Amino acid sequence: MTPRTEIADLIVIGAGPAGANAALAAHNAGLKVVLVDEAAQPGGQVWRAPITAKAKQSPVKDIDRKMGDALRQQLVSANIHILTDTQVWSADRQPEGFEVGTIGEAGTVFLRAPRLIAAPGAYERILPFPGWTIPGVFGLAAATALLKAEKTLPGRRIIVAGQGPLLIAVAAQAVALGLRPVAIVDAASRADWAKSLAGYARQPRQLARGMRWMAQLTRARVPYYRQHEVSSATGADSLAGVTLRSLKSGETRTIDVDTLFVGNGLTPADEVFRLLGADQEPCPISGTQRVVCDELGRCSVPGLYAAGDAAGIRGALPALHQGRIAGLAAAHDAGALSGAALSAALASSSRALTQLQPFADASCRLMRLSGQRVAAAPDDTIICRCEDVRAGDIRKAINQGAVDINQLKHFTRLGMGPCQGRICAVNAAEIIRQETGAAVNSTRLTPRGPIRPLETAQLIGEFGYSDIPIPKPAPL
Amino acid sequence: MSTETCDLAVIGGGVHGASVALFAARAGLRVTLFDADALCRAASGTNAGTLTMQMTRAALIPYAMEAHKMWTDASRWLGHDVGVVACEGLSLAFTEREEQILSDRATARGAAGAPIRLITPEETLKIEPNANPGIRMASHCAIDGYANAYLTGIAFRRALLEAGVTIREYTPVIGLEPTGQGYDLKLRDGKASARQIVLAGGVWLEPMMEMLGLRLAIKTLVNQLAVTERAAPLMRTVVCIASGLLSLKQFPHGTVVIGGGWQGTGDRDTNSHRATTESMIGNVRLAVHAIPRLRQTRIVRSWTGFESETADALPALGPIPGFEGAWICGAVHSGYTSAPYTAHCLTQAILGGEPDMPLFPIDRLLTAPLRDPQRSTH
Ligand SMILES: Cc1cc2nc3c(=O)[nH]c(=O)nc-3n(C[C@H](O)[C@H](O)[C@H](O)COP(=O)(O)OP(=O)(O)OC[C@H]3O[C@@H](n4cnc5c(N)ncnc54)[C@H](O)[C@@H]3O)c2cc1C
Ligand SMILES: Cc1cc2nc3c(=O)[nH]c(=O)nc-3n(C[C@H](O)[C@H](O)[C@H](O)COP(=O)(O)OP(=O)(O)OC[C@H]3O[C@@H](n4cnc5c(N)ncnc54)[C@H](O)[C@@H]3O)c2cc1C
Repeated sequence: MTPRTEIADLIVIGAGPAGANAALAAHNAGLKVVLVDEAAQPGGQVWRAPITAKAKQSPVKDIDRKMGDALRQQLVSANIHILTDTQVWSADRQPEGFEVGTIGEAGTVFLRAPRLIAAPGAYERILPFPGWTIPGVFGLAAATALLKAEKTLPGRRIIVAGQGPLLIAVAAQAVALGLRPVAIVDAASRADWAKSLAGYARQPRQLARGMRWMAQLTRARVPYYRQHEVSSATGADSLAGVTLRSLKSGETRTIDVDTLFVGNGLTPADEVFRLLGADQEPCPISGTQRVVCDELGRCSVPGLYAAGDAAGIRGALPALHQGRIAGLAAAHDAGALSGAALSAALASSSRALTQLQPFADASCRLMRLSGQRVAAAPDDTIICRCEDVRAGDIRKAINQGAVDINQLKHFTRLGMGPCQGRICAVNAAEIIRQETGAAVNSTRLTPRGPIRPLETAQLIGEFGYSDIPIPKPAPL
Repeated sequence: MSTETCDLAVIGGGVHGASVALFAARAGLRVTLFDADALCRAASGTNAGTLTMQMTRAALIPYAMEAHKMWTDASRWLGHDVGVVACEGLSLAFTEREEQILSDRATARGAAGAPIRLITPEETLKIEPNANPGIRMASHCAIDGYANAYLTGIAFRRALLEAGVTIREYTPVIGLEPTGQGYDLKLRDGKASARQIVLAGGVWLEPMMEMLGLRLAIKTLVNQLAVTERAAPLMRTVVCIASGLLSLKQFPHGTVVIGGGWQGTGDRDTNSHRATTESMIGNVRLAVHAIPRLRQTRIVRSWTGFESETADALPALGPIPGFEGAWICGAVHSGYTSAPYTAHCLTQAILGGEPDMPLFPIDRLLTAPLRDPQRSTH
């Protein structure tokens, strides 16, 4: 049995604000679109659909929930062909266009189209510290996902730590659930936040929500440690304590808690772009890398477009407009939309993007994780959790001659585990950069598929021996 | 950059070049090893690591048998760990035609000295209880095993430094000029010179030979592999199939590497290659057919690398005709397995001695020269 293939004019990966709006724009312009997302429902991270009864019943006053419900309704009304619960695991260039391998309930299905918009969003970064892999330590972004889908958070005595707006969002929602954090640990100073205010003021609704959250935290008298970071966590099978350190004085204090939520910004999910060989550039705002694209989302690979956080972290509203723009550009490039119609349709989104940029920049600046902080990890800090490679192992390998990250992988197995280096590679790269002054290019792992670990059974399906196309035997 | 002349410049730091450099330095030569990238990051660091007789060409069996001894004894001569495990090997036949291939090949390889015998399905399942009970026959080889190929670079680097070899990574050699006393090597920023040179460029032997004005066709195979996440023990032998299109083994840390020469796509000139989904599905299906319990694992990664092959699929190993003191080492089928021994034989010749086993001189492979070879005069 050979896997099924679906043919379309346009494949869109990711049904978050970016991908869903890209699909809608291209579909409305007349393209045959297939939209894929591994989640059960469209919405992406920020507009994630509620799953549990508790989450569904909670009052719909949250703007993210409203936006998400509206988007889901739009996709249904437009009758967009969408494959949910379906993971993209490969992306290939072929003479006729792109082939995207997916896996879902129907097993392996290949999608083919001359055009591809990739909008897979972002991953959260965590500044590694000794103990960050102890059960009971969760990402801030993971916490927001839980809050949206299930309206719940684990833990009884919690600390919320890291940097950027998610810190406040998670802490305030924890308070609202009756789970008052023992501490908020924020890498930023009051002045850092003040600098961001001008940007935030451009989005009055978001700013108002942020202020409400801050007021809730003040009312609940949650101890707020500014310019602090988590320097270590202890516990064997579960978290027992967290040590905070002042970034100014270096002073530390230890607090007993059973749960820590910690996150240090986002980095684009770039596997699809890298597998397809699209050019990358350093992102001045987030400090990591992003795919190179023009103002319409076109990448260096013809027919490939990027939108949303995957094209550089900007947040949900810019993602919506970037998605719409990429969808229109794909429709135009496919001949479904004239140049004049494209310019007319673009105007509102282009204006909106310009207007939203200061807000995006403000958030990004707060979320930016400095390379020096990463590179300062003590030797016993785990960097690659899949293969248990520690900062000291990396420094030793560098001393023994591993000057680029692929060599480091051979020396230490870093990045060889199931997560494919998604979490550790950026951090290991900072250590290499610090120790050797290496150029950015030599700090990327060679992209390798599959994008996510694949269930072998799903990949191969049912087959008979004669279904395997066995090539000519090797010479004797 | 100093242009001090070394005794031997080895160009290409894969397992062939690194081995020659090591043996020559141990014998007292002043050796510099050049690689365009880092040591053993091409085929030699990304291959499946199978040290098997059952995929080795019959003509190479005597070399592979000697090399197998060396690999299992790497701590003695290399001094550093490449994760070698010696175990038994099985090659399976699922169809009548494969039975035929298997017995022909077992006979030929047996005649060449490999301890291979044909066994029944019952015997096979005793040795490898998770093998597909539907097999018709297997060939069993007592001498088999595998190395952890990604450790090759770090192990050789340590050994080479201890032996006093000058390692120059990220330093491609871009031109070669015979001088009469040896060779000038053109580098991107400067030059180097050596009394003798060894070309050990894997698939890039063809452009390297062009630097001497010689035309040696090297076919580029894009071999593809996949690896599972760590799994509970599933198998204890190296498992192949009659046609040679499967190689399977489980490493001590639990991952299973799936290979067998399925082809990805790639281009030698841009050094770009990637796995194809068709090959991945075909290869993994074959693996699951051989060891059905692999169906319960997850595939975490697939990758590709370039393997080189000459017109007759036998090695390019010996002096370069018309160029005094210039040698070639590579294009060995299943070359990782035989490398330490073929490199040992070539080094003996470089040092002016008689190799323990015959070389594979390339006169048979050279077509018309690109320009008049400049013969060095001694
Ligand atoms: C975990 C997480 C939580 C976040 N929470 C918030 C928040 O609460 N508030 C906020 O303002 N911002 C949040 N952000 C930032 C937020 O992601 C963006 O601002 C916004 O959602 C970007 O929209 P997007 O469409 O670019 O990406 P996303 O909304 O992330 O959408 C990407 C979609 O692609 C899908 N996808 C990715 N890879 C694959 C694949 N291989 N196969 C199939 N589908 C795939 C995902 O399932 C997802 O639905 C969060 C980010 C993350 C990573
Ligand atoms: C995916 C794969 C799986 C394999 N599996 C097995 C197996 O299981 N068992 C087995 O026995 N064999 C296997 N092989 C074959 C084996 O890996 C090769 O035969 C062997 O590694 C070749 O070694 P080499 O030193 O000749 O070439 P390479 O390892 O390719 O080294 C050549 C080196 O030359 C360098 N170079 C090129 N041009 C220049 C230049 N101008 N200047 C300086 N340096 C240069 C390159 O950077 C490279 O490092 C496999 C091969 C592949 C690709």
